[in-house]
Amino acid sequence: MKTFRRTTCLAALAAALTLAVAPATFAQKAAPKADSKEDIVLGGSIPLTGVFAFAGIAIDQGIKDYLSILNESGGIKGRKVRYVPEDTGYKVDQSMAAFKKITSQNKVNLYYADSTAFVKTVNPELERAQNILMTGASFAKEISDAQKYPLQFMVGPNYSEMVGILLQYIAKTKPSAKIALIYSDTEFGRDPVEAARAEAKKLGLNLVTEIVTPPSSVDVSAEVIKLRRADPDYTIFHGYVSAPIPEFVNQAKALNLKTAFMGTFWSMDNTTVMRMGANIDGFLGVMPYRYYYDTEGKAPMLDRIRKMRPEYQTTGYMQGFLSAMLLTEAAKRTLEAGNELTGKNMKTALSSIRNFDTGGIIGVPLSIKGNSIPIGRIYKADFKQQKMVPASDWISLQQ
Amino acid sequence: MRIGSAKESYAGDSALFDSHTQRVWIGLLAVTLCLFPFLANEYWLYLACLVVINIASTCGLNILTGYTGLVSLGQAAFMGLGAYTVAILQVRTGLPFLLNLLAGGCVAMLAGVLVGLPSLRVKGLYLAIATIAAGVIAHFIFSHFTSLTGGSGGLTVPPARFFGVELDNSFKLYWLIVPVTAVMLLGAANLFRTRIGRAFIAIRDRDISAEVLGISLLRYKLLSFAISSFYAGVAGGLFAYFFRAVSPESFPLLMSIFFLAAVIVGGMGTILGSVLGAVFMTLTPEVLKMVVGWLPAAVFGGNATLILSPIRTIVFGLMIVLFLIFEPHGLAEVWRRIRRLFHLWPFRT
Repeated sequence: MKTFRRTTCLAALAAALTLAVAPATFAQKAAPKADSKEDIVLGGSIPLTGVFAFAGIAIDQGIKDYLSILNESGGIKGRKVRYVPEDTGYKVDQSMAAFKKITSQNKVNLYYADSTAFVKTVNPELERAQNILMTGASFAKEISDAQKYPLQFMVGPNYSEMVGILLQYIAKTKPSAKIALIYSDTEFGRDPVEAARAEAKKLGLNLVTEIVTPPSSVDVSAEVIKLRRADPDYTIFHGYVSAPIPEFVNQAKALNLKTAFMGTFWSMDNTTVMRMGANIDGFLGVMPYRYYYDTEGKAPMLDRIRKMRPEYQTTGYMQGFLSAMLLTEAAKRTLEAGNELTGKNMKTALSSIRNFDTGGIIGVPLSIKGNSIPIGRIYKADFKQQKMVPASDWISLQQ
Repeated sequence: MRIGSAKESYAGDSALFDSHTQRVWIGLLAVTLCLFPFLANEYWLYLACLVVINIASTCGLNILTGYTGLVSLGQAAFMGLGAYTVAILQVRTGLPFLLNLLAGGCVAMLAGVLVGLPSLRVKGLYLAIATIAAGVIAHFIFSHFTSLTGGSGGLTVPPARFFGVELDNSFKLYWLIVPVTAVMLLGAANLFRTRIGRAFIAIRDRDISAEVLGISLLRYKLLSFAISSFYAGVAGGLFAYFFRAVSPESFPLLMSIFFLAAVIVGGMGTILGSVLGAVFMTLTPEVLKMVVGWLPAAVFGGNATLILSPIRTIVFGLMIVLFLIFEPHGLAEVWRRIRRLFHLWPFRT
C-alpha cells in the first residue's frame, strides 16, 4: 500500500514537472523578442555559489548599484538598462547554460562572464551572434588578444600586465633587485609566468627562483626553505586568493627573511589581506581600482557608493561596478553615434574612450586601446590602520 | 514482467525490447528525439546535448562500477584524454570527426587498461584511490606537455565538419551527439546479453566464485576498464566538439565524483539508471533555478537570485541524500515501480 502511494506520488510529481517544464521548453523559442524595445539588457553568468562566490556576490552588487545609478538618471538615451543575472556555481557548463538561457529569453546587448574557461568557450558564440559586448572576471593574458577575442575586453590590466606593473615599481624602487615568483599550478597561476620572466630580464631584475604550489596548499615548509636559499628582495605571489600566502609570510617572518611580499588583484582585497594576520603588515600589491575608503582627490562615484553602502565594499564590488560603467558607456557612445547596438559597434565605441573619468574608481583618466586597461597602483598593507594604503602613484603600461 | 507477454523462445526471452508496447514506446521516444531540436530553443538544446554527453560517460562508468563492481574516480581523466585527443587531431589533422572520436575513445581505452591494472590486486576504496592517480597524471600531462596540449591555456577546438557543414551550434551538434550516444547505449545494453557482460556481473557478485567458474579476472577486469574508458573517451570527444575549448581544468576530480553520483542516484548496474542518473544530476540544478525564478521577486527585494542560489544548492544536495536513503536502488527502481503500476493496473503491487 505504502509502495503504491509512494509510486503514485512520484508519478504525479514527474507528470507535474513535465507539464511545468515542457511549455517553458517550447514557448521560449520565440521569446527573445518579448522584451520591451526600450530596454538594454546586461546579462550575467555570475558565481553566486561555489568557490568564487566571495567575489561573485560582490560583483553582482557592484553591477546592480551602477545600473540603479544609471537608470535613476534616465538610463541611456532614455532607455533603461535591465540586469539579468544567473548563478553559475563557477562551473563552465552552468555558465554556458546561464548564457544560453539568458540570451534565449532576452535580447541581450551586454554580458558579464565569470571565468576564463567560460570566456574561451563562449567566444565562438559571441562571434557568430555579433550582437553582444562582453567583459568579466577574467584577466587572462589570452583574452587581451583583440584579434582572437574581438567582442570582449577586461576591466583592468591582464595578469601579465599586473606583474609588469609590480616589476616596474621594483625596478624603480630597487634597481637590479632579486625577485622570486610563487604561483599556483593552475591556468590562473601560470598565466603571467612567461611574461614575468621576459619583463624582469628587460628591466634588469634578477629572477632568482620560481616556486609552484598547488592552489590553497597548506604545508609550504619545503618551499619556504627554497625561498630562504634564494633570499629575494621581493617575492611575488600570483594565482591565489589567500592560502598559502599567510603560511609563506608567517614562516618567512619566523626565519627572519627580509623579502617584501607582493600580490596581484584577487589577493588584494582589504578584508582578505587583513585576515592574514599581523605579519602581513607591509604586504604590497597591484590594484587597478581605488579602495572603498580612499578619500584622496575628487571621487564623486566613490562618494556615491559610500552613501549608498556605508559598510566596506570589496575590490570585487569595484570590478563589477566599473564593468557595468564601461559596458554601458560603450552602449551609450554607440547610440549617440546613431549606430545599432551590435557587438562590433559597441567595441568600436569602447575603443574610442579617451581620458574617461570613472568618477574616481580609477585614480587617473582612462583610455582604452586594446582588450585590457594596463593601469594600476601599488598599495601597501597597514595592519595598524587595517587598510591598504597607496605606496606609489598610478602606473600605466600604455604606450 | 508485463502480463500477457509470455516468452515462447530463448531469443524472445533474451530480446532487448521484449514486448510490442515497449517497441512502440521506443519508437515514440525516437520520434520525440528527432522532433525535439525543431521545437526547443537554444537553451534547452544546449541542456539536451550536455545531458546526452553526460549519459554517455555515466553509462561507461556504470559498466565498470555498476556491472563489474570496480569503483573508479578516474572517469574525468579518461574523458580528458578523449577530449584532448579529439582536439589535437581536429586542430592538427582535420580528420573526419568520427575518426577523431574513435581515436579519442581508443586513447582513453589504452589508458584505462593501464589504470585498471591495480584492480587485480585491490578493490573498493583502495581501487578508487588508485584511479584518482589517473586524474593527477592526466592533469600533469595536459598542463606540462605544452607543445601538444597547449599547456595550462589548453586548446581551442575548430568545429566538426559534416559534408562541408560546420557543426558549430547546439542544433547541429545535437545530430552528432544524440546518435553517437544512442549507439553507445544500445551497445552497452547488448553487452549484458553476451558472455562478456555476464562475466562482468559474475565478477561483481563474487570475483573468487567467478574465477572458479573459469572467468579470467585479468582479462575481464581489464576489458571492463577498457570499455568504460572507451565510453569516457568518446564522451570527452563529444565534450571537446561541444564546448570547443579544452584545458587541464576542464576535467577535475569533482567531475568524476559527479559521474559516480549519477551512477548511484540513477541505479547501479542498469543502463536505464545511467540515463536517469545523468538526467537527474545535470537537470536538477537547472530545474531548481527555474523554480526559484517562479518565486515572486518582490518578496526578496529584487535579490531573489542572490538570496535563493545557496538555498538551491542545499536543496540539490538534500535531494541526493534523500534519494540514497529512501531509494537506494536509484531512479531506475522508481521507474520500474511506476511501470509496474501501469502494467498491473488496476491491481496494486
